[in-house]
Amino acid sequence: MQFKIEDLQTLLSGEITRSSSDGTVLIKVDGKEQTLRILKFGTNEFEFILGHSFHHAKILSSSSSETKMIIDGEPLTIKKHSKLAEVLQKSMSSAGAGTAENNLTSQIPGRIVSIMAKPGSVVKKGDPVVVLESMKMQVAVKAHKDGIVKEIRAKEGASIARHDLIAVIE
Amino acid sequence: MSDKIKSILVANRGEIALRVIRACKELDIKSIAIYSDEDTRSVHVKRADEAYHIGQAAASDSYLNMNKIIDLSNQVGADAIHPGYGFLSENENFAELCEKNGIIFIGPKSKAMELTGDKMKCKAIMKKAKVPTVPGSDGVIDNVEKAADIAHSAGYPVLLKSAFGGGGRGIRFANDEKQLRQEFEIASAESKAAFGKAALFVEKYLQKIRHIEFQLVRDSHGNSLHLFERECSIQRRHQKLIEMSPSPVVDQKTRDNIGQIAVRAVEAVDYLNAGTAEFLRDDNGNFYFIEINSRLQVEHPVTELVTGGIDLVKLQIAIAQGEEIPFQQQDLKLHGCAIECRINAEDPFYDFAPSVGPVANCNLPYGPGIRVDTYLYPGCLVSGFYDSLVAKLIAWGRDFEEARIRTRNALAEFTIEGINTTIPLHKTMIEEPNFIKGDLSTDYLDRFKLMDKMHENAKKRTQKLSSAALAAALLQSEYVKTGATTNSTNTSNTTATRSTATRSYDTRRPSWNRE
Repeated sequence: MQFKIEDLQTLLSGEITRSSSDGTVLIKVDGKEQTLRILKFGTNEFEFILGHSFHHAKILSSSSSETKMIIDGEPLTIKKHSKLAEVLQKSMSSAGAGTAENNLTSQIPGRIVSIMAKPGSVVKKGDPVVVLESMKMQVAVKAHKDGIVKEIRAKEGASIARHDLIAVIE
Repeated sequence: MSDKIKSILVANRGEIALRVIRACKELDIKSIAIYSDEDTRSVHVKRADEAYHIGQAAASDSYLNMNKIIDLSNQVGADAIHPGYGFLSENENFAELCEKNGIIFIGPKSKAMELTGDKMKCKAIMKKAKVPTVPGSDGVIDNVEKAADIAHSAGYPVLLKSAFGGGGRGIRFANDEKQLRQEFEIASAESKAAFGKAALFVEKYLQKIRHIEFQLVRDSHGNSLHLFERECSIQRRHQKLIEMSPSPVVDQKTRDNIGQIAVRAVEAVDYLNAGTAEFLRDDNGNFYFIEINSRLQVEHPVTELVTGGIDLVKLQIAIAQGEEIPFQQQDLKLHGCAIECRINAEDPFYDFAPSVGPVANCNLPYGPGIRVDTYLYPGCLVSGFYDSLVAKLIAWGRDFEEARIRTRNALAEFTIEGINTTIPLHKTMIEEPNFIKGDLSTDYLDRFKLMDKMHENAKKRTQKLSSAALAAALLQSEYVKTGATTNSTNTSNTTATRSTATRSYDTRRPSWNRE
């Protein structure tokens, strides 16, 4: 199977070539075979020695197309590169794109302290739409494009999560 | 001389509450913690001798609720209150309430706080005391037209500052008039929300400036002295990221000179207890006084390490109970070098967005010369209701290089699962050639493109780990039944960024829906 590590350009191939009952595994990464000794094996947490170096990995999520993990303290995503996954992902990202384009969402969680635009307002990209407070900081959520505010979903004083819809701008 | 303090109520949370509790334990003083709904499992509650629930999660209902805190102190018979930093630490009304109720406020008197808290009044006093100040506007500005006028004559860029702010809160930057008008709105709203008043002033923004501050202590017998400087030039949006002592540009002669000016500054406001005089230093080596922080600073450990271990919190308590400072200026010797990294729960890969949630696991570094002041423990909660500082990593070495290398290695050991933090940025800074050379300024991050460098570094670390990561992914897909660990929070519709790997925690969780 082919793999791609997010943010890196290269494709890697990898497979487990042999495993024995004593916890030792032979693993082939890009044609190079290495010994892997499993020290701890949990459902989502592994400790192992690859070659001669210790690694700790915690799997955060795993699907047929990608695996997200923290390895040695570093967050990292591996895309499993098969054509099927590619097709799936393409069809998912195009669905509903027409409305998603108009949606202004918050990139951070926080509490709405003030609303600076109302339905019908004409806004330019970069104009503040609402002001959020999070961790003692006030942050303006700015219009992501030029347009007319069709709807404001945020309410003053309400707490919102990341990716919550703030407003619809057409 | 007053009686010895027997119990202290710590009117704070997080690492600083823990720091004060530890000092109390060393002095056999009873420590009394307060906690909000959000902090029921916080470590300061576990470590204090007694802990009392004070109110709901919002700071205004808990750690900022003066009457409740005073009532509780009276009820439990606390001799003194330590305010830590932030919250009520620089609130002169709270200090006054303590005074009226016969509770020792561990800090300056309310009168001095009123002066240091009002930047314009303070500036006027300093001018009189021949302490050099930053050239800028002389009065408080309450409307945007006047602000635009002053900014125009001073020349852009300018800073908008809240007259009642502190620690960088309520400071806004404007490059031109359009930006000034936008920022003025936000700055006055911020000031109103935080301090109840919207008084701002405009100041010319000086370029390639260093932020250097002096630690000061003054007792009730009138003894004042400084405990050397801290260089805090590396900042982002006026929030300090790295502090160190000594500063690479302060020699002994400058230290003596500016130290004396700083002592003059605290004497001019009849200051009591520990405080900090902040200065800006321009490229020509001129120092301008900007303000006195009338509290224990976040970065106080740096000073503790380079003064050969003077415990500033214990000293604060001694001064508060009327003792004389047990040493003199000439007894103090600068001892090695210390560097502090502030670890904030903010995602540097995502414009420093706050990152909150449970911390499933963490590994705190230790070893020679390493000190970590933190409230983190495996299973703790990083709350979105309070400040984003989760840990301070402080390293001491015989010289800068030793302190730097110890910091670098400790950062590599430091892992915090469940939230994103500023650790990757610190890892980049600590090895950045201009940092090593000491070429610092408050625009250091921009000037040397640190964010780009951080992305490159992260990529390099990913590259190095790719075989191991692939191995882990293979182990999981081959030997663990699929579906068992799949968590369906992966809802990101855009291309997943690098940091979303840890982001599955900061989606909706109950406390955000409380209101």
